[in-house]
Amino acid sequence: MIHRRYISALCALVASLAGCASPQPWEKGVLAKEAMTMGGDTLEQRFNQHILASKEAASGGSGVGGGGCGCN
Amino acid sequence: MAAIDSVKKRSGKWGAITAAALALPGVMSAQAEEPPEKGVIALKYLHYRDSQTNHTIYPGYDGSEGSSLNRIRVNSPSVYLLVPTSHWSLEVSGVVDQVSGATPRYYSDVSGATKSPGGMKDERKAGDVKVTRYMDRGSVGVGLAYSTEHDYRSTAVSLEGRYASLDKNTTWNIGLAGTSDTINPVNQIVVGERKRTVELTAGVTQALSTNDLAQLSLTYSGGRGYYDDPYKLFDHRPRTRNEAIGMLRWNHHFDAPDATLRSSYRFYNDSFGIHAHTVEAAWVQPVTSFLTITPSVRYYSQNSASFYYDPVTDASVYPGPLGTPAYSSTDQRLSAFGAASVGLKGEIQFGRWSTDLKVEQYVQRSEWRLGGKGTPGIDPFSATTVQLGLSAKF
Repeated sequence: MIHRRYISALCALVASLAGCASPQPWEKGVLAKEAMTMGGDTLEQRFNQHILASKEAASGGSGVGGGGCGCN
Repeated sequence: MAAIDSVKKRSGKWGAITAAALALPGVMSAQAEEPPEKGVIALKYLHYRDSQTNHTIYPGYDGSEGSSLNRIRVNSPSVYLLVPTSHWSLEVSGVVDQVSGATPRYYSDVSGATKSPGGMKDERKAGDVKVTRYMDRGSVGVGLAYSTEHDYRSTAVSLEGRYASLDKNTTWNIGLAGTSDTINPVNQIVVGERKRTVELTAGVTQALSTNDLAQLSLTYSGGRGYYDDPYKLFDHRPRTRNEAIGMLRWNHHFDAPDATLRSSYRFYNDSFGIHAHTVEAAWVQPVTSFLTITPSVRYYSQNSASFYYDPVTDASVYPGPLGTPAYSSTDQRLSAFGAASVGLKGEIQFGRWSTDLKVEQYVQRSEWRLGGKGTPGIDPFSATTVQLGLSAKF
């Protein structure tokens, strides 16, 4: 049940953040910078996720649809 | 343009300014709902090597064989292609993993590992394709992924949707994926085993200020089938694995150094009894008009799976478990440990071309577990990765 407490806390945090002063359309120049997007270097991210998933018990959380591997 | 027309009607005197701002390239929603402006072709080459120095004296094994066995090495060329049109985008990628070396068959004791020259060798080929349709304030994407190696085959399909608020400061996303794996280990301990997984994720991305973007994602994954590692001794795991993951990402831009801090926290919990915490941070620092340096750090901690057992000191039992438990494992990846990594990436841009080099060092230690109490009898593990990339926009 501990994970429910963590996830509830995360939800509450972001819900409270949604009340912050949001930028106007003409103020989004910085948000449009490549480094500010939630994406990034696709191939680098996949390599990192694949390596870490083969060395640690926890994986996932950053998207759906990747295939599995033996990785023994 | 429908969104711009809508804004013009609603916003009165601000309409023209708002519409002009929306028309500017790069003035986007919290998470892009517009098709990418440019296509991308990218090549990346990965070299990976891990190592584990033997310090632990196991029953009947003093660690002296460790240096004679090469641990895992991987060389992976990969390619990525993004082709956008006015309302669609197509993404295709492919990778070949050339893997060789030895892994322990129990704990970090390599005395039972493959001793053939170079250890085991394998080649994994994987590819995926994703098609996305973009609408005024949303997008829908369908993906297909396929991976094959000599003892493992995986097929995955995914469906993702995004929807943005009218001011485009908030984007909601939802994703559903199904994966079907077939396992045929070379030792034929099992034949034609299957594993199926369904994954559901939902998230929200919020522009918090002109310099802050945050994202919360919740993921639930339910899996049924063969989870054992067929190459490890005494490895028998439940045939069900349910995972719950919460991830919070936060990107903040600092105006003075013109740098961006990309940070994230992930909580993971599964029905194997594993809880894990991960924090990551990367500092993206443009140094000149064409050079960007990105140092990064990561910390990870997990407890052990409920069926993982510590090395038994009785040599007549080792490496087996005491008694006959229903489930058991000596896989160090299911033990309790902490891990840290540091990386440095340099990227050079010349017009539409860019090249990058990233070096990362990763270390796993039992005593680095959050709270300091990790699994006994596991040696420190380390890995080095080097990634070299080249990409062009068109």
